[in-house]
Amino acid sequence: MRSVLFAQVRAHVARLLASTLAVVIAVGFVVATLVLNETARSTVLNAVGAQYVGAAAVVTSDDGSSLADDADAVAGLSSVAAVAPSFETSIQAAVPGRTGSQYLFVGTVADDPALRWQRVSDGALPDRPGEVAVSDRARAAVGDVLTVTTYDAAGDESTSEVTVTGIVDLSGDPEAGLYGRAFVTPEQAREWGAADPLELRVAAAPGFSDEQVRTDTAAALGDRPVEVRTGSERAADAAAAMMGNTTALAAVLLVFGTVAVLVAGLVIANTFAVLLAQRTRELALLRCVGATARQVRRSVLGEAVVTGLASSTIGVAAGIGLAAAVSALAGGGESPIPLTGLSIPWYAPVAGVLVGTLVTLLAALAPARAATRVAPLAALRPVDPAPLRSRPGVLRLVLGLLLLLPGVGLMALGVAMGQVLIALPGGVLSFLGIVLLAQRAVPPVVAAAGRLAGRFGGVPAQLAAGNATRNPRRTAATATALLIGVTLTSAFVVGAASTRATAQAGLAAEFPTDIVVSSFDGALPASLLATLEDLDGVDRGAAVISADVTGPDGQPTWTFGVDAAATEPVLRSTEELALPVPGQALLPEWLAETWAVRDGDPVALGAPGQQRTFTALVVDSGQPLMLTADDLRAVAPETGLGELWLRLTDGEPDGQVGAVDRITDVVAEIDPAAQVTGLVTLRDQIDEVLDLLLLVVTGLLGIAVLIALIGVGNTLALSVVERRQENGLLRALGLTRGQLRGLLAWEAVLVAGVAAVLGVLVGGAYGLIGAASVLGEIGEIVLSVPWLQVAVIVAVATVAGLLASVLPARRAARTSPVSAIAG
Amino acid sequence: MSVPVMTVPGEPPAPLSTAAVRATGLRKTYGSGETAVHALAGVDVAFAAGEFTAIMGPSGSGKSTLMHCLAGLDTATAGEVWLGGTDLTRLRDDELTKLRRQRIGFVFQSFNLLPVLDARDNIVLPMQLAGLRPDTAWMDSVVARLGLRERLGHRPHELSGGQQQRVAIARALLPRPDVVFADEPTGNLDSRSGAEVLGLLRSSVKETGQTVVMVTHDPVAAAYADRVVLLADGLLAGELSDPTAESVLDALRGLGA
Repeated sequence: MRSVLFAQVRAHVARLLASTLAVVIAVGFVVATLVLNETARSTVLNAVGAQYVGAAAVVTSDDGSSLADDADAVAGLSSVAAVAPSFETSIQAAVPGRTGSQYLFVGTVADDPALRWQRVSDGALPDRPGEVAVSDRARAAVGDVLTVTTYDAAGDESTSEVTVTGIVDLSGDPEAGLYGRAFVTPEQAREWGAADPLELRVAAAPGFSDEQVRTDTAAALGDRPVEVRTGSERAADAAAAMMGNTTALAAVLLVFGTVAVLVAGLVIANTFAVLLAQRTRELALLRCVGATARQVRRSVLGEAVVTGLASSTIGVAAGIGLAAAVSALAGGGESPIPLTGLSIPWYAPVAGVLVGTLVTLLAALAPARAATRVAPLAALRPVDPAPLRSRPGVLRLVLGLLLLLPGVGLMALGVAMGQVLIALPGGVLSFLGIVLLAQRAVPPVVAAAGRLAGRFGGVPAQLAAGNATRNPRRTAATATALLIGVTLTSAFVVGAASTRATAQAGLAAEFPTDIVVSSFDGALPASLLATLEDLDGVDRGAAVISADVTGPDGQPTWTFGVDAAATEPVLRSTEELALPVPGQALLPEWLAETWAVRDGDPVALGAPGQQRTFTALVVDSGQPLMLTADDLRAVAPETGLGELWLRLTDGEPDGQVGAVDRITDVVAEIDPAAQVTGLVTLRDQIDEVLDLLLLVVTGLLGIAVLIALIGVGNTLALSVVERRQENGLLRALGLTRGQLRGLLAWEAVLVAGVAAVLGVLVGGAYGLIGAASVLGEIGEIVLSVPWLQVAVIVAVATVAGLLASVLPARRAARTSPVSAIAG
Repeated sequence: MSVPVMTVPGEPPAPLSTAAVRATGLRKTYGSGETAVHALAGVDVAFAAGEFTAIMGPSGSGKSTLMHCLAGLDTATAGEVWLGGTDLTRLRDDELTKLRRQRIGFVFQSFNLLPVLDARDNIVLPMQLAGLRPDTAWMDSVVARLGLRERLGHRPHELSGGQQQRVAIARALLPRPDVVFADEPTGNLDSRSGAEVLGLLRSSVKETGQTVVMVTHDPVAAAYADRVVLLADGLLAGELSDPTAESVLDALRGLGA
């Protein structure tokens, strides 16, 4: 039988293409997922953990107490070659040619070369005080002299100058783009106010292992409140902290992988059914010339294994290639997802080949069993007419309901409690139930849709409606493959929309102003507001006046005065930031405590003789005491312009960042002492990450949909084979080729359309439930359904189903009318 | 491509004006060169309107091919096929398909009906495809004559073989086609159902003047026809008027079948 097997595979390479493609795509997906996951992990490990990877051991302070005195104790150990205390501080630095000064986070360059982890892309690391190496983000060049402003513990300002000796390459570090970094010698760091190192990095003496160094160090520090880890442990911990919950990420990726494999399995099973149906006579002939049922089954399964192995291998290569392409693309641009190079874990190709081959084999089991039932006589008689009905099992119904009902219950509980960990298993259970029940649910829906279509599509649509429900099991399997993909895609799209809406509402409440321009002395130029409002990208602004107001304790208190009418349109939300009404004083909690004033109490403000009484409203905010602008003018003789609140035009994140830059430049020019802060960039970053995630996930799930559509094409191909006689009869009775193609197209549209609509409904529900249960833990939920995207999903799936019908329809249209008679 | 046309003994072909279907110099060749097989090697034949004709011949004589070409199901290699005033060999596939809907009826040996449609939908299918409404009175009369009134709501698998063939005949008769082609219509039936089907075909010729052309290899079936055309090796091999089972059997023996 082996010769027959290989001859079969060789002869049917073209026929096997569909299942090969499904396996290649699914395996490629799994492998690419694993490789990208590993690449991201190692990228973060190398970037975030870079400073630790080279160290033998790392000592971290547990309670924030200084390790300055412990460095010597560790350095004295025989297994230790060098110790580098990490001094950290921050500075304001002015770069020549750039207006304003920027915040730089300062780290240290170790004295010992073994503990120097920074890579320079240009120049060299600093060797002495007065020298500095900066990251790309600082936008300085080698040779630039930076003017540095630092504040000591007493708040006194001091200025110094340092020369840039090198540019440090931080690529791969997700935080590299947030703020500039500066690296100096420990002496320089101490000069700038860094006093207490919270971490010691330890290098091993020649011949000592990391573990030995760790043990010795831990022993030497004995009862000190420190944690001692090896360098690689510390690096892994840092990376884990950065990647967030890595198990959650792995779980999500696993879910996508499972989806792709499941969908591929359904498609492969269908493909094999098609292949074997086309070969019924060949198989029967084999039986006639003496092959046993066992031999036939083994031949079919052998074919599956060969196909599975070959296409899994291609899939592994494709997956690695895909991951490399994604990594190259992500590494090239400014992507929030850290990917550099390519790390292929050993288990990725192994898992790919195993999964691909096993799924193919499993998927071929049912068709193989069917093949053994081919009677030898089938070779001799004309092809039987296509079966009219097959019975869906009762077992499946019961099992489906047993999964669905508790699943729905768990999800309801999860939403009610705001616990995603309860809703998630509910989602998995109910989805499995839906997949099982789809076999019962899909055919009636297809039939109903078919009756509707028959009204518009004429005879071909009516016939298609009948054909689409002839083999409910097959129709359901085809639709289910598509349903899974569409369900998950829409679940994610809807879930992401709700997450975004909730995050934005939360951010708007937390940070109601886009941009705040403030001065410490309450003396911004009066003309500044008009100048800024004229800038491109600035929507509107409001002035906040300020003055020292005498409080009930007789002490002057820094007070804001806002004009509610002018301010409200500037704010994104007034949920967390209340505005005062006339006669009301908004007291921050600390002030209320100082003055011993409670909510609703009267509070007298103003210099003696000018005093007026206000009603206190205690608010949980970091703002100073706040009155209306008119009230403030009444109790304070001299007011100044304390802050400007600006709202930016809604639009592209890049445009908003540009606006922030323009505002900073203008403010720096008019009033160098003024400060510009704003959360608009944070909001943009959240948006950007969500957008990218959405794009990636939609792309990945799109693959599942693609595989499912190959399945639609296969099912139609099988129908065409089975209904050759019937199609011939239709042609004889006067169905034109165009109408026959229309018949197949309608059938595809019915199945794909129903799967898409059902998938979007179910997926939308899952998305909303998921968002509600995940965000329920966090707080207020804003549910949002992106109707346009949902409509696009339905349209794309349906049109793609139409496209999937093109090849089988061409084949059907070639059916000669004579074949109805010839049998 | 000139091939000597064998003259057929017996009656001259029916006059052109009354012929519902006729073919001249009809050839059908499969393959080419040395391996070429001539299924039809040049056939001139005519079928008069309102006549029931049987085409007979041994296996491989080309009788099925002749019917396929006459009915526009298959394309001829050479020659002409005229249905009334239309030359089928000049029509494109779509034109041919539309012509089949309205002007030709079919009854096949097996697999005559679409399994997804009930009897009524199967009967009106060709007219629906043509976008025509069946004449209700005519439909009632056809259904009544074929004894199908009680069966119209049944799907094909709920009908016996004889009932299925009667549905197929009703479908063929409904558009009042120029000609009904029947390909071994009794081949899959027991003798009683077979006789019933043949009787119905014959009565449709007698009572409504329907033209029927039937391919068969059963002399008893052929005896229901007004005329039998004999075919051998892709050529006409004679014909019989008012045939009986015995005369048909004799004629076939003369062909060496």
